[in-house]
Amino acid sequence: MADLGFIAGMRREIRRMCSRRMYFFGMVLVPLFIGVFFLSILDKGLPEQVPTAVVDLDHSTMSRTVTRSLKAIQVIDITRDCETYDDALAAVRDGSIFGFFVIPANFEQDALAGNAPTLEYYSNMTYFVPGTLAFKGFKTVAVATAGGVVKQTLQSLGLSSESISDLVQPVVIDQFPLNNPWMNYAIYLCPSFTICTFVLMIMLMTVFSITIEIKEGTSPQWLAAANGRMGVALVSKLLPQTLIFTAVGLFLLWLLFGYSHFPLNGSLGWMITATVLTVIASQSFATFICSVVPNPRLAFSLTALFGILSFSFTGFSFPVQSMYGALAIFSWLAPIRYWFLIYINIALDGVPLYYSRLYFAALIVFPIVACTMLWHLKKACLKPVYVP
Amino acid sequence: MGRVFRNELRQIIHDPGVLLFFVALPLAYPVVYTLIYNPEVVRDIPVAVVDNSRTAASRDFVRKADASPSMEVYAYCADMAEARELMAESKVFGIMQIPADYSKNLGTGEPSHVEFYAEMSLLLRYRAFVSALTDLQLEVISEITGERIASTGLESLAGAGAMPVKSESNFLGDTEQGFASFVIPGIVILILQQSMILGITLLGGTSRERRRRNGGIDPQDPAGVSVLATVWGRALACTVFYIPLTVYIMRFIPEMFNLPHYGAAVDYLLFIFPMLLATAFLGQALNVFMKERESAFIVIVFTSVVFLFLSGLTWPRYAMSPLWIWVGNCVPAVWGVEGFIRINSNAATLPEVGTAFLAMWILTAVYMLAACWATKYIDVKSRLRYGRG
Repeated sequence: MADLGFIAGMRREIRRMCSRRMYFFGMVLVPLFIGVFFLSILDKGLPEQVPTAVVDLDHSTMSRTVTRSLKAIQVIDITRDCETYDDALAAVRDGSIFGFFVIPANFEQDALAGNAPTLEYYSNMTYFVPGTLAFKGFKTVAVATAGGVVKQTLQSLGLSSESISDLVQPVVIDQFPLNNPWMNYAIYLCPSFTICTFVLMIMLMTVFSITIEIKEGTSPQWLAAANGRMGVALVSKLLPQTLIFTAVGLFLLWLLFGYSHFPLNGSLGWMITATVLTVIASQSFATFICSVVPNPRLAFSLTALFGILSFSFTGFSFPVQSMYGALAIFSWLAPIRYWFLIYINIALDGVPLYYSRLYFAALIVFPIVACTMLWHLKKACLKPVYVP
Repeated sequence: MGRVFRNELRQIIHDPGVLLFFVALPLAYPVVYTLIYNPEVVRDIPVAVVDNSRTAASRDFVRKADASPSMEVYAYCADMAEARELMAESKVFGIMQIPADYSKNLGTGEPSHVEFYAEMSLLLRYRAFVSALTDLQLEVISEITGERIASTGLESLAGAGAMPVKSESNFLGDTEQGFASFVIPGIVILILQQSMILGITLLGGTSRERRRRNGGIDPQDPAGVSVLATVWGRALACTVFYIPLTVYIMRFIPEMFNLPHYGAAVDYLLFIFPMLLATAFLGQALNVFMKERESAFIVIVFTSVVFLFLSGLTWPRYAMSPLWIWVGNCVPAVWGVEGFIRINSNAATLPEVGTAFLAMWILTAVYMLAACWATKYIDVKSRLRYGRG
């Protein structure tokens, strides 16, 4: 008989899902839109050609060489020649440039005379990425200019150019950015933000489909269809959704690793497993919230607040290790945190499964924890009370 | 219009769900976000060292690396395999390998290549590494070059010769390059817009449910008010309601957490007014999609992430395709974020953010019309659908 209850419940749920456009919107359209949105908005990979300016107060041969090197490098784009420091600063304030490079008056003369003039550069860090790139470009040119002057001086003293370069560069630190040598921002932002939004939608849709029964007072029928068993009722309601979410999740994985060729240095099978487990963990998380507060308003609000905050405390940009301990704890409550860690380990870094074992285990804990509060949800379902 | 205004305020105050988004969220979120990012910079990132040279010179190099505020030597490893193991366990996020001939090369004058492998899961860590390594290289080079030039007998060059041209880096706006200082001024503006839209659409969805139960009419709406007056009354109620919260968010949050706050209060408060108004109209226009109260969550919440990216905070707008720049131009907070950041962090004045200011007034006008249409449409459609005759 339990079997019959299960199938009847599934039928009932599929009918419900077809009767409202909201289900299709939240479960399929939004996740697909988000996947395409992030790939499309970040398609350049690295926002090079940062608009910047040069303030040449020297107007000498040497200062023009410096300006030429600034114009030659890829990361910045000298879009303006400013006459004064104040002009350049005004351009930063009105947003047309993200930084500027100042060549002081008498630069050439002082450099050759050994008076050590100072090249100054200003990067606007209110926009982190362009500010950082401008800084990087400016620094490269400043260091190269200093090196060039050393060479010129030593050459004039009669040293061979070979011994000069050894003299100027005795130690070189070669940097190897592992698995993302292009420093591609899309590789770093797309997977985490896409799946985090996906998880947010899974949670909201789960809350929606559970609390709508309470709101409309149909929850006793829902339970009755499952012969009064909360667990059967929930599985019959959520399993069809699990299948749809899994299909959407697989499509998102294909967008990331198939269509966009993001690094996948480990097994695709385990990434798929992780994604399916994350779908179930997110549904369980939402079910848990609905069980604790079986009230549409509170359940939705809590889920939305948590879902949006999880973009931050999951540590996609700012590492959890550097957060205050009390806040870092929250990151471990979010299913997306484990997906993210598995993605880093398996897809990006390609380390063996062994190192991700605990993250997989954690994802399995979510449904188990959700089961502990089902009695409370059942109570609420038997006597539905709707508070708007 | 006065009646709509009072009625709207009454509805806001009597709906705990709406109050949560209109009051609790704008009060609490900026604090929570700032606390998350308040450590500001990533310090002492653990690094493994594989020292194949094992000499006084190489140990000196590692000491200098350890002294950098960005990294900390977590362990000395016998070989790369051991270091990679530590990286796989996420115990270290960088590996520094010093070649066996490091010390010998320093003696013979040949260049030595130190290798640094960075784990790339977070670009913030990589950025910290790059800047620390560049400084380290410069420090070591100027020391060694100084010694070498002295040994070539050209002592006159030893002082100035090592660095004939100095350079000085200055950071504008977020001078400490802290993460909270950079991200919070933008996020708080998004919070203003998103919380207001959520509140308005929650009210809209609830009103639609009342219409369904009451033959297409919302009994709580004051009767006999024109569409224009309804739309303005609601928008002004929300805007007035938000003024104290806006002052709190724009003035006190940056001050409380010692984030950059260089702008003049007059400038940014005047600046943000059209954004609040445009948002209040946009929310009413979006009510077209709110068939019930819960729709608001499903339709609105995820857009926060979309708007965050469109605002150019994470990814600069100059690198976006024209499509996304254009879509971003339609979002009040995109202009709000841009203008407020410039005023707050770069001390721009209102005329200097004139484009954004003007754009938000244009959006106000556009969304006012859209809100009028939406209000009319909802009314006519509900009466037809649920009306008794």
